[in-house]
This record gives sequence, structure tokens and C-alpha cells, in this order.
Amino acid sequence: MKIKSTQIDDTFAEAFKMWASRIIITAETKQWAMAAATSMTGFATSVIGCKCEAGIEREIPVNETPDRRPGVSVLLFAMDALGLGKRLVERVGQSVMTCPTTACYSGLESEKTVVVGGQLRYFGDGFQISKKLAEQRLWRIPVMDGEFLVDERFGVQEAVGGGNLILLGKDMKTTLRAATAATKAMRTLTGVILPFPDGVVRSGSKVGSRYKSLMASTNDAYCPTLRGVRPNSELGEDVNCVLEIVIDGLNESVVRSAMQIGMQAAAKPGIKRISAGNYGGNLGQYKIDLYSLLDGDKP
Amino acid sequence: MTALLLTLKKQPELPVDLSPLTPDKLKGKSKAQISAIKLINGKDKTPVSTLFSVSGSDTENIRIQRSCRQLTHIGEDMSFGEIQVRGDAGNYLGKHMHGGHIKVSGHSGDSTACGLKGGLIEIDGDVGDRLGANFIGELHGMSDGTVIVSGNAGHRVGERMRRGTIVVRGHVGEYCANWMLAGSIIVLGKTGNYLGNGMKRGTVILTKKPRHMIATFRHCGLLKIEFLRLFFKQMALANKEFNFFRNFGPEAIRFAGDVSCEGLGEILVLKNARISK
Repeated sequence: MKIKSTQIDDTFAEAFKMWASRIIITAETKQWAMAAATSMTGFATSVIGCKCEAGIEREIPVNETPDRRPGVSVLLFAMDALGLGKRLVERVGQSVMTCPTTACYSGLESEKTVVVGGQLRYFGDGFQISKKLAEQRLWRIPVMDGEFLVDERFGVQEAVGGGNLILLGKDMKTTLRAATAATKAMRTLTGVILPFPDGVVRSGSKVGSRYKSLMASTNDAYCPTLRGVRPNSELGEDVNCVLEIVIDGLNESVVRSAMQIGMQAAAKPGIKRISAGNYGGNLGQYKIDLYSLLDGDKP
Repeated sequence: MTALLLTLKKQPELPVDLSPLTPDKLKGKSKAQISAIKLINGKDKTPVSTLFSVSGSDTENIRIQRSCRQLTHIGEDMSFGEIQVRGDAGNYLGKHMHGGHIKVSGHSGDSTACGLKGGLIEIDGDVGDRLGANFIGELHGMSDGTVIVSGNAGHRVGERMRRGTIVVRGHVGEYCANWMLAGSIIVLGKTGNYLGNGMKRGTVILTKKPRHMIATFRHCGLLKIEFLRLFFKQMALANKEFNFFRNFGPEAIRFAGDVSCEGLGEILVLKNARISK
């Protein structure tokens, strides 16, 4: 099957069950809200090395934020709810509370919650103030520019991580351009993030390594420099650059939508194939078939 | 199904305890059963039918017509439904109420909303002393819920209050927030002497300069308190009459105290109050 001149592989992306939370950061100006969000989502590309995956979901206009200030929405993913709670406490505490003028609110209505402000309140050294508005409890923690306002509990929910597209292009310039177009299109959706730098990863990995201490190593089948060396190479003579886009979303549906519009946007001249990463279907709970996204029959 | 209408036939000379007439206690009762309920009237017990003419059948929606100050304990312990009082209400209105809604078109007596645990009480007129305070012998005042008073309130508003919100659109008397433990009190009018005496935690929000500030409150300066934005937004959402709250900014002069106790309470005078140090 093809989109324009780009071949779509008959394969599937293997995604995993994760836990996610949405964090609303507000501040006096959009600049400070974005500064906190950028800091909070730093070093959060992969659960393998960073314990969580995070990204900026969107900017929020003042009429949609709880306190009518400029806001930014962040999505944070981890493998379980307990771990997610720990990462939230770390990142809200170190990246949001530290940023001037910010306040931080839960952005998910969910039955399951984790304590965040209820942990951070101890920073107030006894001078913190609790306030309850209807069913929402907030903590006012005194800081040097006034008060840091934070929700006691943040909603968490089951989510989907590891949706992906692999773009195989004729050269680096073409592949970068296609990847950028795809990530730009995907970012129009809410409920998804692309956790890698600007949404793109070049160091795709396979499970295992010849070194016992490593649980993952370079995906040699997609490395152009190993094309002539590795018998399992997936690359033809016309492919010289491979980039991957990883997608985490609040549910399978939104991950599928992101992959769908990402494929359409990436299918440009010079992109020879679009594929997806999987582990034979043995590890992930979700199999997202590329053909099913195109709503077409297999050739 | 029409609301259960209780029209007072004649103003009683002695207080009548209306605590048996709540949606909780009348649930499933017929008109005849309700008419036969005996109410404590002084040292006597008088059937409902002697005091009121009864009509309607919806016990979740009770209307008390021609009400007066002698009718006490209205809505005591109620947890759901609505009671509308046309006229004045006596002492202990909404005492220990858990939920539901009480609306009074006239004034209300002392100890209104004492020990309130949830729900909403709205009073169009004035209220007596000890609004939202602790019931005699109890350690804590209201522990949740909202009380809105359109008129003035007497002394000791929110004494030993533990949680919840009191809004007084008029003036309040002396010892407002006395020994307050937590919660929020908003006063749009003037406040009496000894405001916040013994206050451990909690917030009193004023729009006008207090007439008297006790020595154990400390001036913390003019600050932007972001929580106020959420608080006022919540108030405006909860009650359309409070849409003007949306205009209140987050800037307020903060006084912390009472430092003779824990000193973690606060009196916030909104910026437009023009208070001097």
C-alpha cells in the first residue's frame, strides 16, 4: 500500500499500557508558564532511562485556565500509578514550584488520584495553608515571590505509550523535513505528546544487547552504516536515513489518530517507506496496524 | 407532586422545635402521618396540624409559610432536599445540617448554621449571634458547607469554625472569627471589635478597613494571593448573585495572626479597601 510515492509497510506499532496525568501550569505571563513546562518535561524522553515520559500538550488561553492566567498543559507518563505519583512530586517540586509566579493544577478528572500538593506542602515548614473549594483541596505554600498554589491530588488514568512511526528516507535532509511535518501535524491533537527532542528520535532501540548489563541497544536493522554488515538489515540501497516518532496518548484512539495524520504528513517525495516498531507482538498490549490506519485493504 | 406546604395558622407564644420536619425525617410519610407528628412547644407537645395547615406531598421540597422567630431548629440534621422559609426563622436554623439547601426570605435567629457539616444556607435578612459557630458544649463550629447572609450578622460569626465558607454581605458584630480553626469568612460590610481574636488558622476576607485590629495580628504587606482568583471564581459559579466577585483581584493586604496562638490565620483586606497600616 502506498501514500503518494511512499510505501507503507505491512506491519504494526506495538504500544504499551502506561499511566498518565495532565498537569496545568499557569503563571503571570505565557513566558513563565512555558519556562516551567519546558523544565518539567526535560529529560523525560523514555521510561527506560528517565523513569517517565513527558511533553507539552498545548498552550491554554486565559479563559480556559482555573485562575484566568496564561497556561500550559503537560502530559506525564509512567509505567504505573505509584511511579507516576513519585515523578509528579519530583517534577512539580523541582521545576514548577521553583519557577516564578507559577501555580499548578490537576488537569484530569479521574477517580484515581495521586497525592502531589499534599507531599509538597511540607516545603512550607508549617506555614502552608490548606484551602478546600467544593471537592478540590489546594495548598498555598509560602515562597519568596508570594505563594505557590498547588492541587493536593492529581488525577491519573490508564494511557497508551510507545505508539510509533519509522520514516525511511533517501537522505537526512528529506527525512528531517518529513519528520518535522509529521510532528507538526500530530501536535494539533490534544491528548498526545511526542516525548523525544522536538518529537523525533534517531536512536531507535531493540530489546537486549550483547552486553549483559544493557536491556536495550541500537536497532541495528535500521542503521544505514550497518547495511552491508548485518544480514537482518531492513534498509534497501535507496534508504540512507531513518528517523522515528514516538507517540504517547491518553487512550489508544488518540494515538491511532496521531499516527494516521503523521503518516499522511510524512509521506513526501524522498520518503521511501513508512514502517513501525514492534517486538513481534509479545510485549505490548496494543497492536496498531498501519494498514488499518489508512482504512484500506492489504494489497 | 407539589411541595409540602406548611402554613403557620397562628404565631405561637413559645418556641416550637421544627427539627422533626426535615426531608430526611418526613421521607415516605403521608399527609396524615405528617399532621400527627408532635412538635415540642415550650414544655408541651403539639401536633403539626394544630400549628400548621398542611398541603402538598413532596417531602423533599418543604415550604414553611408565614414563618416567625418562634420556629426553631428548622432543617436540623437534614442531609438532602430543600426547605424554603417565607418569613423569619428562629434560633438553630440548619444546626448540624449535612446537606441540602435552606433558604430564608426573612431574618434568622442566633446560632444559625451552628455545627453545619454541609449544604447551603441562604438568608435574605439579618442573622443573630454565633453564625456558623460551635453548638454549646461542642469543640468545633461549622465543618463544611456554605452560608450566605444578605443582611447583617451578630457577634461571634464563625467562632471555632473548622471548615466551609460564610459570606456576609452586610456588617458583622464583635469577635468575628473568634478562635477560628480553619475555613473562610467573607464580610463585605464593616466588622466589629476583636476581629480574629484567638484565630489559629483560616481566612477572613474583607472589602473594608476593619474598625479595630487586635494587637496580635501582624501586617504582612500588599500581596498577590492567587488563591483568591480561584476562590472568587468558585463563589461566582456557585451563586449568580456573586458575579461581582469576579471583579475582585488577587491583591490584598495580609495580616497574619493571632500570634498569641498558632498565628497561622489571616485577615485579607482586598486592595480596594484602602487600609492604612
